Amino acid sequence: MSIPPERRKSPLAWTAITILLLASLVGTLWVPFYARVTPKLGDFPFFYAYQMLWIPAVAILSWLAYLLIRTPKRTGSPASRRDDPR
Amino acid sequence: MSHVNYVSFTILLVLFLVVTLTGFAAARWRRAEDLLHLNEWGLGGRGFGTFVSWFLLGGDLYTAYTFIAVPALVYGVGAAGFFAVPYTVIVFPIVFVFAPRLWSVARAHDYVTPADFVRGRYGSRGLALAIAATGIVATMPYIALQLVGIQSVLTVMGVGVTSNAFLKDLPLIIAFLILAAYTYVSGLRAPALTAFIKDFLVYLAIIVAVLYIPARLGGWGHIFGTASAHLAKTNPKTGKPFGAFVTPPAGEWAYATLALGSALALFMYPHAITGVLATKRRDVIRRNMAILPAYSLILGLVALLGYMALASPAVTKGVKADGGNAQLSVPLLFQHLFPSWFAGIGYSAIVIGALVPAAIMSIAAANLFTRNIYVEFFNRRATARHQARVAQFISLLVKIGALVFVFALPKTFSINLQLLGGIWILQTFPAIVVGLYTRWFHRWALVLGWAAAMVYGTVEAYRQPAPGQPHSHFGGSSAVVPVLHQTVYIAVTAFVINLVVTIVLTAVFRAARLPAGADETEPSSYLADPETAPAPTESVPAQG
Repeated sequence: MSIPPERRKSPLAWTAITILLLASLVGTLWVPFYARVTPKLGDFPFFYAYQMLWIPAVAILSWLAYLLIRTPKRTGSPASRRDDPR
Repeated sequence: MSHVNYVSFTILLVLFLVVTLTGFAAARWRRAEDLLHLNEWGLGGRGFGTFVSWFLLGGDLYTAYTFIAVPALVYGVGAAGFFAVPYTVIVFPIVFVFAPRLWSVARAHDYVTPADFVRGRYGSRGLALAIAATGIVATMPYIALQLVGIQSVLTVMGVGVTSNAFLKDLPLIIAFLILAAYTYVSGLRAPALTAFIKDFLVYLAIIVAVLYIPARLGGWGHIFGTASAHLAKTNPKTGKPFGAFVTPPAGEWAYATLALGSALALFMYPHAITGVLATKRRDVIRRNMAILPAYSLILGLVALLGYMALASPAVTKGVKADGGNAQLSVPLLFQHLFPSWFAGIGYSAIVIGALVPAAIMSIAAANLFTRNIYVEFFNRRATARHQARVAQFISLLVKIGALVFVFALPKTFSINLQLLGGIWILQTFPAIVVGLYTRWFHRWALVLGWAAAMVYGTVEAYRQPAPGQPHSHFGGSSAVVPVLHQTVYIAVTAFVINLVVTIVLTAVFRAARLPAGADETEPSSYLADPETAPAPTESVPAQG
């Protein structure tokens, strides 16, 4: 394993992964953006609804980042499987 | 609260018994050749897949902090307590980035604790000692928070409410002794297996609570309306409003830095790192970062239980009757709005939800002490068996240390126990996380940066009085930063001091050519994965 598999991704993939992971930090740490009562989502004031919505959002973004970063399983190399020290 | 409700009490007792038996039986689960080895006792054999890890990490990270401390803060001050939601949102992308590297290097070099890694990376026993000691000290108030959580349930149930100080704490002590016993026997397997029961109870109790309670209290609109009106009223104790329904401009810095500081700090805690290192593969960690937010959803909903409690006159009366102890708000809500049998399930969720992480925390702190203090400085030739024995014993001592924090610190808002731990543990971030990427920082600069931040953080936290008690200490976790003129979480200010001192001194020490120490890790260790890259062995032919 001279070149670790994760390193062989394109710069484009790395940019996408960075954006996916940074989005939630920007979205939740910029407090003035959501520190208000309206517009309400049903009975939920904006402040509460907005932050709660980030929870499913971060799950989806992290999953996309995982799919992008994942090393596809090599099918034809049983040698690499056998080394799993369990 | 003078008499015990026997229905709730019996349910709690039965479920506690089930958890206890499971905890002892866990020693036989995925049976190891020899449980008396730190890889087995302390890391569960390093073989947990996505599914078990999800429960273990969930059981590990969502604690009495979630079920008692956060809703108590929301109950007391409103929006400011909701910072826990952005905290548990951003923690996952942050950990997604660095945890796989830590996992790989730990697997390649057989590291069990974060201080093991620091020792190997920087060749510095002193720095490793600082990291280990910080981990142990910071874990104690976090375990203390679990005790406060259990205590608040017992108080509401009327168990141990007598004037006799010994009898008062007896149920808590018994619960803790049993926890200590099965942790001692089964190690990390115990909390991993009991985490299944814990999570089932938690999801059940919370989902029922958010569907059932608002309907009984007149709907979400009414709950938010009551909370908003109450928070705007003046608190007679402080002469200021109780809190704010939406973070005011003056509170924005505190809100954001509490979320950011807590998120950066969480996976520096030894128990969180233990959960990461116990996984089977790199991918397991990343996959878990995408599915763990399910617990954050629970956290957000539990936070709102604080507002439901405000909307229930019976609960606010009960809190006032106990000297304004906001920690009681969720157990009281269960007591007054659920039938007693389901209240019993709710109490069990809280109690077991505190015991499981307390077990993992004490195991992790024990690993730290054994590997990085005992073996390093007292007995270099300790066998694996002997090490596991020492760790078992220390796991008991750590729990006793936690009791000291319970009795010594003000309990206006128990969340400050966790935030105090955060102030300390965040100061290990530069050595651990930055160390995963670069060796540029000088080991002595890291020690001095850490020391400066620890002193600043501890002194500043000591100086914070609890609201309405001007002469108390350790009563808050945010302080005004002189130049910035904003209120900021002390952990973050200390972290900035830490980084500045470390960077400046690194430049100085490197210019003076002070010895940098040996680095035993190789760049490939940080990406190793048993499936694609059989750990550090050489001569594997290049692929593709």
